[in-house]
Amino acid sequence: MKISFFQFLKDIFKELLSNKINFLFMCLALTISLIALNTIYSLGLSAKKQVLDALASVQFGKDAMLIIAGGGRIIGLTTTRTDTLKLEDVEEIKKLDFVTLASPMSRGTLEVSYKDFAEKLRVEGVFPNYTIANNWYPKIGRFINENDLKSMTKVCVLGADIPERLNTKNIIGEKIKIAGETFEVIGVLESKPSFGHFRRDERVIIPFTTAQRRVFNKDYIDAVKLLFREGTDMKMAENKIREILRKRHNLFGIAPDDFRIITPDLAISVFTKTMRTINVFLLAIALISLIISGVIIMNLMYANIEEKAPIIALRIALGASSKKIIEHYLIMSLFIAIISGIAGWILSLFLMEIISFFTPLKPIFSWWIFLLSFLFASFTGISFTLIPAIRASQIDPAILLKSL
Amino acid sequence: MVKKLVILKGITKTYYTGRIAYQVLRGIDLEVEEGEFLAIMGVSGSGKSTLLNIIGLLDKPDYGTYILDGQEVSKLSKKELAYIRNRKIGFVFQAFHLVPWATALENVLMPLLYRGNLKKEDEERALQFLTRLGLEKRINAKPSELSGGEQQRVAIARALITKPKLLLADEPTGNLDSKSSQEVMKIFKELNKNGLTIIMVTHDPEIAKFAQRIKIIKDGIFVEE
Repeated sequence: MKISFFQFLKDIFKELLSNKINFLFMCLALTISLIALNTIYSLGLSAKKQVLDALASVQFGKDAMLIIAGGGRIIGLTTTRTDTLKLEDVEEIKKLDFVTLASPMSRGTLEVSYKDFAEKLRVEGVFPNYTIANNWYPKIGRFINENDLKSMTKVCVLGADIPERLNTKNIIGEKIKIAGETFEVIGVLESKPSFGHFRRDERVIIPFTTAQRRVFNKDYIDAVKLLFREGTDMKMAENKIREILRKRHNLFGIAPDDFRIITPDLAISVFTKTMRTINVFLLAIALISLIISGVIIMNLMYANIEEKAPIIALRIALGASSKKIIEHYLIMSLFIAIISGIAGWILSLFLMEIISFFTPLKPIFSWWIFLLSFLFASFTGISFTLIPAIRASQIDPAILLKSL
Repeated sequence: MVKKLVILKGITKTYYTGRIAYQVLRGIDLEVEEGEFLAIMGVSGSGKSTLLNIIGLLDKPDYGTYILDGQEVSKLSKKELAYIRNRKIGFVFQAFHLVPWATALENVLMPLLYRGNLKKEDEERALQFLTRLGLEKRINAKPSELSGGEQQRVAIARALITKPKLLLADEPTGNLDSKSSQEVMKIFKELNKNGLTIIMVTHDPEIAKFAQRIKIIKDGIFVEE
């Protein structure tokens, strides 16, 4: 049995090599469309991974949640009041057993000035647990502590990009102005990856109490970051928190939420949405090119079968069943698929390296893409060879004698 | 009593080219005993190749019965016919019909390949056949590297490897020079002496002389010798 199968494969391979040009074109057609498919697919994965990494780096990978004051769509203007979220709400949420940490903040965009520098920057009033909540620690200096909160000190911590913009080597201890008030710089945050147009490293952080009383002059908060016990059911957590907030804010019936709950999944889908649309579109094009390559294979396979008709007739005369002949050509297309699958995969790796030179996307290595390449190659190869193979199996062996 | 290997009764076959019907065989009756060496002669267009196709189960008759080795075969399916061809019939063609990319040895083994149980001893048997036919030095040669006579001897080895009951030869010497032709016919003679039934189609009376019995076909029917 073993020898037969080996001989069978050998025969198929020799037949394939007997017309190298034909063979080359079939592989080429399939390889090119596979390169496109693999590359587009991997770049999609790579872009998504970047978003995931960026979110995970600020403790928003999973088991976390962000509540933002003001209802409305996830991105865009709020359509309700934004002054209803209070520290008391946070206290109530903290009582939930799955909430391990809550870090409220108030924020605004204010003019920040230092010597000849003046710009509107995002200013956040936070608690000391901000570092844990966002996995974000000072690179130099220190962060805001309980003492700062109690004394409402006028100190600030800067985002990693700001010292460079201020053009100062030793920023610690310097005085900068925020909305006219003078603040002492006590630390600089480490840098975090940004995504989209949202620049994470351009922010100024001040103590929460200072922000409320001396800068913003308000008694409500703008957002609260929550950390949950590992493996918390997000849907359940979201429902519980919504229930608490709606009750506390006296929202009943069809009254819309006056807050927004952002889960990691939601954040991922928002940040990958545009990308996904483009990617689906590109993948559709790649799949069409795969179909075209399938048609090319079908054509060349037909030509091959026409050319080899006497030999196929001979095989049938010698006792090959229709099944055996169909098998013969399907295995042949599988050979082509395997070669193209490998070639398409390797070449797409190269192409991604090249693309990574010109774009922020990093090449991604995944066996899943290798498998994808193989599956699509085999599927295309086999499905488009089926009709020529059936045609081959129906060749009349009587032509062996009639041709004389 | 000698067993009859081939019994044909009232075989007819008509081909259609567009709307024109062309009756190639018009009632063929033929009986071939086991161990016989029959030559069928006829000019081109007489229907001899069509008859050979039918005897070789490569084509089906329109009417008539065909009993091969005690089995009615004219109504069998394509798959069953392929099975019987593989086990009972060996073919030798005028144009040799060797697979161009396969070596002599691989060509000989090809019929066994389709049985799906090629064994090591089959390879040894193929080598024996090739040696017997004087091709021991050409076993790894491709058909394009062989002379016509050598190619036909490979084809004969291929026909014999399945231990067939019946050898069908269609103008086996048609593409050969006279020396090679003589050699091939000598091989046939010897195979027949060892008990193999041979039916050979030819238009060459010199070649037909090697057979024990000659039937002449004319316009799709046998005429008296």
